Amino acid sequence: MEEDIDTRKINNSFLRDHSYATEADIISTVEFNHTGELLATGDKGGRVVIFQREQESKNQVHRRGEYNVYSTFQSHEPEFDYLKSLEIEEKINKIRWLPQQNAAYFLLSTNDKTVKLWKVSERDKRPEGYNLKDEEGRLRDPATITTLRVPVLRPMDLMVEATPRRVFANAHTYHINSISVNSDYETYMSADDLRINLWNFEITNQSFNIVDIKPANMEELTEVITAAEFHPHHCNTFVYSSSKGTIRLCDMRASALCDRHTKFFEEPEDPSNRSFFSEIISSISDVKFSHSGRYIMTRDYLTVKVWDLNMESRPIETYQVHDYLRSKLCSLYENDCIFDKFECVWNGSDSVIMTGSYNNFFRMFDRNTKRDVTLEASRENSKPRAILKPRKVCVGGKRRKDEISVDSLDFSKKILHTAWHPSENIIAVAATNNLYIFQDKVN
Amino acid sequence: MVGGGLKRKHSDLEEEEEDEKWGWGPAGLRSYQQALLRISLDKVQQSLGPRAPSLRRHVLIHNTLQQLQAALCLAPAPAVPPEPLFLGEEDFSLSTTIGSILRELETSMDETETPQNPVAPPSPQNEVLPQPDPVFLEALSSRYLGDSGLDDFFLDIDTSTVEKEPALAPAEPPHNLFCAPGSWEWNELDHIMEIILGS
Repeated sequence: MEEDIDTRKINNSFLRDHSYATEADIISTVEFNHTGELLATGDKGGRVVIFQREQESKNQVHRRGEYNVYSTFQSHEPEFDYLKSLEIEEKINKIRWLPQQNAAYFLLSTNDKTVKLWKVSERDKRPEGYNLKDEEGRLRDPATITTLRVPVLRPMDLMVEATPRRVFANAHTYHINSISVNSDYETYMSADDLRINLWNFEITNQSFNIVDIKPANMEELTEVITAAEFHPHHCNTFVYSSSKGTIRLCDMRASALCDRHTKFFEEPEDPSNRSFFSEIISSISDVKFSHSGRYIMTRDYLTVKVWDLNMESRPIETYQVHDYLRSKLCSLYENDCIFDKFECVWNGSDSVIMTGSYNNFFRMFDRNTKRDVTLEASRENSKPRAILKPRKVCVGGKRRKDEISVDSLDFSKKILHTAWHPSENIIAVAATNNLYIFQDKVN
Repeated sequence: MVGGGLKRKHSDLEEEEEDEKWGWGPAGLRSYQQALLRISLDKVQQSLGPRAPSLRRHVLIHNTLQQLQAALCLAPAPAVPPEPLFLGEEDFSLSTTIGSILRELETSMDETETPQNPVAPPSPQNEVLPQPDPVFLEALSSRYLGDSGLDDFFLDIDTSTVEKEPALAPAEPPHNLFCAPGSWEWNELDHIMEIILGS
């Protein structure tokens, strides 16, 4: 696949010439909105940055549809829970857009404990000609007012404001890992390690608990919830994944508390691959419905799997992301990389899936042709507007000139978060504190 | 990942006994398991910090510890058996430590009836929370585990295995060897247990 590169760095401009990056700038989530016009990122410092795609103009054909910063705001602040003596991180774990229903944009952003609904709106007109205030806003002496006038709206420089419209707090004891907007556009769910809650957008002081897997005795805890998502079309259906590599599909019509699943997806273990790390690498880090709603995709440490909702016994497709790491699991356990949570995404037509890896590599798998490619998001290796060259990891034998050996991989450069435009071949890739946006080559 | 043993080619796999083909003698296996045990316990200690720990990570490490515990306890009695009591005692001590870690985690993460007001009476904080046995943890982190064995073990991790065919089974110890007969490492582990139980 040939791609242009259009790189955006979201650090403040004065940092551009420095090679260090503050930890607060590490991108923790990336999400396109439903039209692909907007792209939101959240970072470890609790900030949200929204990019907007430029209108395509005939004058500048080569600058078709670039993304520029549209709005930046502080979504979450660090907190301290005095009762438990614990810090609550401001890191944005997930952002999910609501479908656009009027001129304003709405998104949900969440940290470990609190979900917030933000309204992002434009202001390009300003009322002028008040009766009781002068142009600077000072109150006028009523005695000096002799005539009445109607204020008029005059154009002003575009201002984009973000305001918090709802705060959904105090409903999660454990860390929120997922939020998902329901197709009814009236409710959404938030999932933490042990519980899933259902919210109405209008009601912030209560939520319904729909899944609870907390055991009576915490010492018996062996499994946690790792991700959850609503079905794209059926507002009563959702799935959640676990640290033991299982996926449960639940129907909210069956009962108020969906502790009994409707479907249970699990692949039988391969006994020849069994090791002390089998469970850890089977832990699912992300689950995503296809746009069609017929399939779900799961990401575990070494693979991406596609499941047919009608077949619970095993996935219909399995793709190896970086199987050369299988023999390195002990080191990866020691340096904690084995706990990294990679996300996965579908393209708009559900024909290609994408996920990240180490060394700033990310992988794409074409489900139809069964071809796959490894690409790298790195400024050292790519100039703006250059075509991305496929990369290859050498797993043994002689290393060819352009290949990189497994031992040279940089495990601190991990691509955990990626996003795919809902209808076009535009992808956003977060590499630590840098955001890369790639587009198909212009013909 | 070969712990001080011989390296074999793929073609030899079918001909030899599994334990010999990987060079995983009882000594190498024991080192491997002890290394994993030490790493796992270190991780548990690290995660008890000012930030609320990741429950997922904690559970995964705990499950791995349980597997290690099971593997260590399944090993048959050593050639020169110390008091048979040790087998059960070790099991008890490891379970207690893991159990106490999870209990502490529960207490720190547990919800209160009215979570809205964080300035509720701090009575839960006044309770003495069960701590992981520091002697046990320190003993396992100490030189008793034989650092030299661990160094050799980690030296071989990176390059030797990636030169093999990808189709090979992963270079982890074969599982049926977890029950290998005891060795000097086994006696060392008993020695550690002796210290802990004596304190």
